[in-house]
Amino acid sequence: MNKTIDVNNIRKDILQFFGKATDSGQIDAVMMPMLVPAKDSYAWIVTTDKALLEKMNPVAPVMPVNGAIALKRYTRKGKAELKLAVLMRPCEIKAAIELMKLKQVNPESVFLFSCDCVGALPMQNYIADPENTEKQFNEIFAADNWKSSDLKPVCNICDKFSYPACDVHFGISNSKILPMSNSEKGAALLTELKVADKKDDKDWKKSIEETKKERTSAKLKQYKETQKETDGFENLQKLFSHCLGCHNCQSVCPICYCRQCYFDSAASKPNSDIKLMRAEEKGALAFPLDRLMFHIGRMSHMSLSCVSCGLCSDACPVDIPVANVFGFVGSETQKTFEYESGASAGDALPMRDYKLDELGELGKLVETAEGGEVENE
Amino acid sequence: MSKLLTMKSKPEQAVKDLFKDLLESGKVSGVFSLRKNESGIVDYGLITDVEKLNEIAPFHPLMPTNAGQILGKFTSVPKPVAVIIKPCEFRAAIELVKREQTSLDNFLLLSYTCSGVFPIKSIANDTFNDLAKGYEKAVESAEIPNGIRPNCRACEYFAPENADILISVIGEKSGECKMFLNTEKAKEFTRDFSGDVSDKEFDASKIAKLKEKRLKEKEEIYKEVNTEISGLDGLIDVFGRCVGCHGCNSVCPICYCTLCDFESNNFDYNAPIIERELKQKKALRLPPDTLFFHIGRLTHMSFSCVACGMCSDVCPAAIQVGSVFKKSGERVAKLFDFVPGRDVKEEIPVMIYKEEEFAELGE
Repeated sequence: MNKTIDVNNIRKDILQFFGKATDSGQIDAVMMPMLVPAKDSYAWIVTTDKALLEKMNPVAPVMPVNGAIALKRYTRKGKAELKLAVLMRPCEIKAAIELMKLKQVNPESVFLFSCDCVGALPMQNYIADPENTEKQFNEIFAADNWKSSDLKPVCNICDKFSYPACDVHFGISNSKILPMSNSEKGAALLTELKVADKKDDKDWKKSIEETKKERTSAKLKQYKETQKETDGFENLQKLFSHCLGCHNCQSVCPICYCRQCYFDSAASKPNSDIKLMRAEEKGALAFPLDRLMFHIGRMSHMSLSCVSCGLCSDACPVDIPVANVFGFVGSETQKTFEYESGASAGDALPMRDYKLDELGELGKLVETAEGGEVENE
Repeated sequence: MSKLLTMKSKPEQAVKDLFKDLLESGKVSGVFSLRKNESGIVDYGLITDVEKLNEIAPFHPLMPTNAGQILGKFTSVPKPVAVIIKPCEFRAAIELVKREQTSLDNFLLLSYTCSGVFPIKSIANDTFNDLAKGYEKAVESAEIPNGIRPNCRACEYFAPENADILISVIGEKSGECKMFLNTEKAKEFTRDFSGDVSDKEFDASKIAKLKEKRLKEKEEIYKEVNTEISGLDGLIDVFGRCVGCHGCNSVCPICYCTLCDFESNNFDYNAPIIERELKQKKALRLPPDTLFFHIGRLTHMSFSCVACGMCSDVCPAAIQVGSVFKKSGERVAKLFDFVPGRDVKEEIPVMIYKEEEFAELGE
């Protein structure tokens, strides 16, 4: 990709852009990652203060919370009054787009910004050694192929790291930012700010395509492995066998927006007679109850919208590769419906879109299966 | 007066034999224990078939869930379930009985003198076998095993003297199992079970030295927590990297609410409220209430905190939640001369009304 990029230059340029935008009154508040006081992690901060803006980090080395969740907590109950600029990674933009469709994010008066994303380093590494992790991140950012096994596994295979469905995207080329619009709103903002729209920059496009190609092939390779690891009930059970049932994966997932998951509700807490009945069926009943069912349930609920941000894997106390499984399954379910999560706010969620004729081949599958059963009898 | 039932087999085998007898005689609805299967998967099981007893591993030094949390969701059963759990799990169950989540009538409770458990991470990163090498020896010689959870190192309530049956494990000869039958229920359920029975109370002097060592460890851990957490800045330093997953709450045996208030509509602010705060402070962290959540949880459950350390084990941001909660919980409970899980008849302080209490606070 772009050789020897100085990430600090990029950071400076982006902050300058937002400084200008707030000065001009086009933007009232900015939301971006900022180092926490103990300097051992980053948090989402929204601010109207220009002095504070300068202390923010538009290109943070870690991603402790998916930014779409932060934006949700601001706009879930209605639009922001302030003109709010939010700078997020492409996977966070995609999650925000999905949350718009699910009516959890109100995009009115929000400007979505994004930036070419090298990926994030594991949060645990940062907590253990912030200084070194910052250094490591700068080095990966500066390298020409944006590849490193130190990045989070999902980031290494992410081929949607650039130009998501935001209003303005910052491409990166030769240690400079290339502001480019991706919506009418974004184009109007750039015009207002008298910033040139660089969305047709050929060198940038070419370099993105190169990295994309590499990452796509890495992704397909990974998915093939995951497919093998999860094929059939027994494999799936094995993969999730250490699950403690803490539901951390669900609570950090930007798509799982339910205030109370069905699997945490009273409906999932059967009386003792049911527990004993279930135990007697097999001789023994495992606790906590329904751990695999939870993952399958979550998969059927949210995999169509999964943006592969990888937070589920980060939050798992027993290191189950949740993100690999959900990323793979999500890619398959999305393919089935010719849908891509987070691609555009105008796309209808497949589950909410009624089509008279859809998945007709499933009917045939059922017929064949039924036919097979008859023959067996 | 307690009775001592001595068996000429290892504790694990003795428990299996007892459970087999209880199941076969139909005295219990089922038995509940930690299990370990052939592929090394550790979980809890409610067992009704004697054939499935071979997988139980009640003394295995891991705690994938605080079993008190599971027992706290037991509604009434036709006949009790015989359960064997660790002392802090037992204490959690007692607190949940006080909080009207379950009843002790549901169980025949077995517990044992516990040497502690290893962090959950050790099964994920395959360090468990290495860590566990010296465990058995440490149990026999009444030492603190290397590598166990910080909360276990600092635990002083590791002899569950009010369990129906207390199994003495620490400092005992291997190849023998000593079960102290502390309640009438225990005597009733073991009446037809073969073994030497004599009148004897559990002798706490055997574990007195270990308790001293642990109290020392506790002081060390508290010193660390103390220097870290002083005032609001200290709290922000410790909890600042919290990602808001609320995993600490979801694995906490005491946090029994189906929906935590902090996840409810009450704490879901609309944009005008967010912007009012923003106007006042010029900056706001989102999602909001990161620290408030922990303080709120402290005020709600620290009375009953049994210091099991599950919260630390599941924290993706490696915050020592367990040490902070143990220390605060203990200080709060001390004000009321209360020990969580000590006695089911001991009421939770916030639930008792006293006309005169903490008058000095008024001044």
